[in-house]
Amino acid sequence: MTAVFSVRGLTKQFAGKRVVDGLDFDVRAGEIVALVGENGAGKSTTKNMLCGLLEPSAGQVLVDGVAVQRIQPQAHGVAAVHQELSLFPSLSVTENLCIQALPGHAARIDWAAAERTACEQLEFLGIEIDPFAIVESLGAGQQQIVEIAKALLSADRLLILDEPTTSLTAPEREKLFEIMQRLKARGVAMIFISHFMDEIYRVSDSFVCLRDGHQVGTGSLAGVARGELEHLMVGRSIDETHRELAAPTDDEAIRLDSLDSDDFAQVSLRVARGEILGIAGLMGAGRTELAEAIFGLRPCRGTVSVGGEPVVPLNVATMMSRGVCYLPEDRRTHGLFLNRPVRENLSAAGILRFVRRWLPGFGFRGERVEALRIVERLAISVPHVESRVADLSGGNQQKVLLGRWLATEPRACLLDEPTKGVDIGAKFDIHTRIVELARAGTAVIVVSSDLPELLGIAHRIAVMRKGRIVGEFARADFDSVNIISLATGAAP
Amino acid sequence: MTTRDDTRRLVPPGFLSNAGRYPAVAIIALLLVAFSTVSPFFLKLGNVEAMLGANSVVLIAAVGMTLVFLTGGIDLSIATVISASAVIAGLVMAATDSIVLGVLTALAVGAGFGCLNGVLIGVLGLTPFITTMATQLIARGVAFVLSQGVAVKGTPYALLDLGFVTVLGVPAITWIALLVVALFVWLLSFTTWGRHVMLVGSNRAAARYSGIRVSRVEFGVYALSGLLGGLAGFVSIANLGNAIPGVGDTLLLIIIGAVVLGGTDMNGGEGSIGRTVLGVALLAILFNGLNLIGIPFYDQLIVQGVLIFVGTWLAMTFGRRRT
Repeated sequence: MTAVFSVRGLTKQFAGKRVVDGLDFDVRAGEIVALVGENGAGKSTTKNMLCGLLEPSAGQVLVDGVAVQRIQPQAHGVAAVHQELSLFPSLSVTENLCIQALPGHAARIDWAAAERTACEQLEFLGIEIDPFAIVESLGAGQQQIVEIAKALLSADRLLILDEPTTSLTAPEREKLFEIMQRLKARGVAMIFISHFMDEIYRVSDSFVCLRDGHQVGTGSLAGVARGELEHLMVGRSIDETHRELAAPTDDEAIRLDSLDSDDFAQVSLRVARGEILGIAGLMGAGRTELAEAIFGLRPCRGTVSVGGEPVVPLNVATMMSRGVCYLPEDRRTHGLFLNRPVRENLSAAGILRFVRRWLPGFGFRGERVEALRIVERLAISVPHVESRVADLSGGNQQKVLLGRWLATEPRACLLDEPTKGVDIGAKFDIHTRIVELARAGTAVIVVSSDLPELLGIAHRIAVMRKGRIVGEFARADFDSVNIISLATGAAP
Repeated sequence: MTTRDDTRRLVPPGFLSNAGRYPAVAIIALLLVAFSTVSPFFLKLGNVEAMLGANSVVLIAAVGMTLVFLTGGIDLSIATVISASAVIAGLVMAATDSIVLGVLTALAVGAGFGCLNGVLIGVLGLTPFITTMATQLIARGVAFVLSQGVAVKGTPYALLDLGFVTVLGVPAITWIALLVVALFVWLLSFTTWGRHVMLVGSNRAAARYSGIRVSRVEFGVYALSGLLGGLAGFVSIANLGNAIPGVGDTLLLIIIGAVVLGGTDMNGGEGSIGRTVLGVALLAILFNGLNLIGIPFYDQLIVQGVLIFVGTWLAMTFGRRRT
């Protein structure tokens, strides 16, 4: 098969810095190419050049063997599904699908035709979504599918999917892969960007690996072992499978007694100092709600005890004063102060530590020094501690957030999806940090949709379904099949 | 990451973007040169004194507005709170002839309106724009009802003197404004409260998740904004000689304009009192200069509007990184 899209010496410079440097690869019709690399390796820039958002500084893209200066998405049949959804939440599915080219003329839109187009598209993709449903009433997964359907309406030759599975539940993910297979059979070429190695191996035919803007490998995936590919991406060996966990103590750090709210019921758990408890379950099982309730961010009934004593009243301030911290799932909306410097982000949860004892109200002593220490300890890659957090990559932002809480020397940590959207190198570092934290005697509760993550670092996994704890597994009994069937409610 | 190239550059990296944060500086320099060439009176001591005195009210209120802007809110009521507290303080002073009672009344009235805003916005979660617009109406109504629409007479003579006294060549009321500036520069840069104001403005949800008591911080900035409005009202009596019910009516846009031109971001989390001082200075110089060269008031409004465009554009172009 000849290549539909060929990339030759593709380079992009920003302010004299080569963010992407000399890429060379082909994408054939019906081929799924995995674009892999760490955060900041140049994947997004490559994606943006391929879908026409950016013009290359040097090199070229050939479409059917013809060099083009800049991709015209409509004319060249290219579309991208970006990480941030581009749907209009208050409009219907039909309106969203047809918004780029509404049938009829400016003064009168032909809604009947729009509906037909939408229905045909949904049917072709094998999706059962009501075309009249308002987008914000759909789940995250269905919205993602609508996004893909929308992209495909304007493009049918190359589809770029950027981390399409991060907000999907397992069945939705299967649905997405099924759709990708259909498109493949129809000859649509795809570029698949993901941090999940399992998915990469499952759906892709070949790979292009980037590191620091350079292409460090390309070829068929069949010939490359997973460890090799990871090594290629990160430039060092990463071994998640042989993690040594220290034995937890017997001291109770945090105990939940029959917590109840609208989102969960009868949750009782106990975590010892030095223990890592994983909470597995599907999206919507009430895990985030539970974690937020424990931290006093949402109302709930029942008792939360820290160090054997009930926390009354249950709110963020009392929980923090008892040495509990909470790392929210959505770092951009709930965690980071994007337009503030790294230093202020790191001290945000405990600025009182730096208030001068004899001269309160005269600045914050040692704040900067501690910021530098955290940056060094967590290997956060920042230009400067005074740089704005918005300018960091996702993995480094997550490390800043983690660093903020670790600096408070917590007695117990609630971590909600601590490695969401983070590349494998940063993920490995964060896992190492969590395990060390437990070794130092902190109790850790990790909520995660990434089961291999929990299998790797947890002493114990509690499974949640529809707001209830439906089972618990000790490390010796970890079994992904059992855990998944318990989480989905399917018979084992 | 800092590369070798960066360290060798003559102009430090980010210089332009930093300059863009202070769009007022460039414009002020330009205006100073222009006006002093065109008008021989511009840099005369008497003129500068008059300029400082007349703008003390604006400066005090602009500090309050900056606090609110930094949390991502807006206080539309501040200008008419100036009027209301001036009128009520004026009435109290006319009845008692006590300056102390007058100050306390002005501060109490301002703080009262501020606390009302603070409770509605910080505690009950109403929208700042609508809430303070309503308070604005109430305060304006109060000012006109109590004064029956005319200037309140009977200001103590000692207070009238305050408007003329200068210390080290600077009018006493300007010293009051500068003290307010110094106080809030200190509060914002060196205290926990100041840090919390910036963080709440940067990301309200993240502040809550980090254990910052967001409603308390929000209540605080509106209460303080009201309090400063009250102080500005009192100072306006000293400046003008009477408590005038319409004193604040034209000030709101000047106050907001000064804060915006100074370079404080309306979305919160970015800005400072220092920038607002520059913004106030800029508008003060502009209006004064235009008056001296004989441009009528309404034409000045047009110039002010255009200037706000230019200032915002400068801040946007050089102040932020393009993605």
